[in-house]
Amino acid sequence: MNYQMQARLTKRFNRLLGYTILIVVAILITIPIASLLVTSIKQDSEYNAYPIRILPKVAQWVNYFRVFSMTPFVQVAWRTFLLGFTVAVLTTVTSAMGGYAFARFRVAGSGKLFTIIIALLIVPEIVLLIPQFILFARLHLTNTYWPWILGALGGSPFYIFMFRQFFLSFPRELEEAAEVDGCGPFRIFLQIFLPNAKPVLATVMIFCFGGVWGDYLRPLIYLSESNTLLGVKMAKAFVNPQGVTLNTVSMAANVIYILPLIVLFFLAQKHILRGVVTSGLKG
Amino acid sequence: MVRDMTLGSRAIAKRRGMTRQQRRTLSFYTFILPWLLGFIFLGIIPLVIGFLTSLTNYDGINIATIKFMGAANYLRAFKDPDVIFSLGRTLIWMLLNLPIWLVMSFTLALILNQDVKGRGIFRTLYYLPSVVPTVAAITAWKVFLDKNNGLLNGAISLFRPGTAIGWLSSYAMQGMTMIAVWGGLGVGMIIFLAGLQGIPEELIEAAKIDGANTFQVFRHITLPLMTPVLFFQLVMGLISSFQQLNLPLILTNVGLSQGQVPPRAIYLYMIHDYQQIFVSSRYGYGTALLWILFVGVILLTALVFWSGNFWVYSDAPKEGGQK
Repeated sequence: MNYQMQARLTKRFNRLLGYTILIVVAILITIPIASLLVTSIKQDSEYNAYPIRILPKVAQWVNYFRVFSMTPFVQVAWRTFLLGFTVAVLTTVTSAMGGYAFARFRVAGSGKLFTIIIALLIVPEIVLLIPQFILFARLHLTNTYWPWILGALGGSPFYIFMFRQFFLSFPRELEEAAEVDGCGPFRIFLQIFLPNAKPVLATVMIFCFGGVWGDYLRPLIYLSESNTLLGVKMAKAFVNPQGVTLNTVSMAANVIYILPLIVLFFLAQKHILRGVVTSGLKG
Repeated sequence: MVRDMTLGSRAIAKRRGMTRQQRRTLSFYTFILPWLLGFIFLGIIPLVIGFLTSLTNYDGINIATIKFMGAANYLRAFKDPDVIFSLGRTLIWMLLNLPIWLVMSFTLALILNQDVKGRGIFRTLYYLPSVVPTVAAITAWKVFLDKNNGLLNGAISLFRPGTAIGWLSSYAMQGMTMIAVWGGLGVGMIIFLAGLQGIPEELIEAAKIDGANTFQVFRHITLPLMTPVLFFQLVMGLISSFQQLNLPLILTNVGLSQGQVPPRAIYLYMIHDYQQIFVSSRYGYGTALLWILFVGVILLTALVFWSGNFWVYSDAPKEGGQK
């Protein structure tokens, strides 16, 4: 067997190994999603049956209607949507302002402040979250949405960094021409930078919205039963009037809960994946 | 053109009685003002308040009975058997979750970086779990991993009838690792892929012409050039492993009520801290535990940064070169 043949065989083997890994992982990733979908259309008795039955005899689409009839799902979802949207807009605007400042102005103190931004990227979130709670509790701002609004008004180091990276790639000629025409920095920001940053704006807004939509800890510690958000509601078991847990309805509710984020992801997949790379956000 | 510009800006500067540089400084601080205020009021001040609280017996409500305790809360932490235990569990959690996540996402990125059919589909599929909110992911996994009705035990039962592994009780650590890896794989892979695409093609072609095989190319070119990305992922993973709270919290539906505690297997450090603050109202002690975590994470990060001198490749041209 000559060298070339051996090389070709190794290449073939590697290719096969690669595809095998890809397919096995794809199956492993799909199984819990399939389990979620399948359970959401089972009857409760089928879910509790032993030995375990994989598919339901008849698909119980009624589970999806029960989500709306059993809980104030629409009300809580609308509340979460409004807060998520507000937070997304505010955070995006203030972060874009910060990103623009760090990308275009080099003045006394700007370098040091940027170092702080970078350092903040590795401060564990939880270390700030709990003292913030103590502060807001003392100010009697728990049980309101102020912690979200005030937090959003401050922007986020992650997104400031993302906007800065993006704005650095803007050609200077654009703003120089505008400066000649007598445009101040605010008009340059509003009329040149923001309109040209649509992909990053969309990405940051989707990230922020998803953050509120999926948040569990903050609504848990700040809010109460009557004004809580979807994340906390979803974590609670769905119970029928007799007090029996309905796992099937709970699964259907979660499918509805996930859907908006999946849709947003497919609408802006390319930009989102690029955003993940710039900011290095994990999960 | 240049003359026009200086004339224009000079005119504006004159109008406001400021030099160009002063004007720029003012603009800069106006633009970052929202963040700066947020940083002071929601960053610095809470941190200081947190630290001051850790020196007292604050219970979350009464200011009148507050007492200065000095370092007592910190000394207590070192004698608390649950702190030692939960720290041990957190270390095991990190050692289990981090390497599996790193190796798997790196492997997937390496394969997908090749000329593979269906690349886009695989990439989207692997990323999809990262879009799913933690609560939904855990609720779905809870049903999947259920001891008696879950499909996982059901599938194992096909080969070994009667399997009832407690993936959410005795084996909760393993169960939780599955959930975390499932949810984090996509993000890890995307970042590795971006790193791999930054490796110059010519370098690999040249090595192949010199007779290097796939493994040699990986060992001597890909791996060294990827060490900065590995390093970044390691640091980020380390920090998030230590502050893990959501997973065990949602997994056991602890909520704010008393008496519900996650199984011992996943009694992580932050769970112990959460119990102290939100269940037992020991704010002083709880914030002390938080500061210990903070300092611990900083020291560990510093250690990893120092170790980076020995294994992270740094001769590559700096990205952007703007700092």
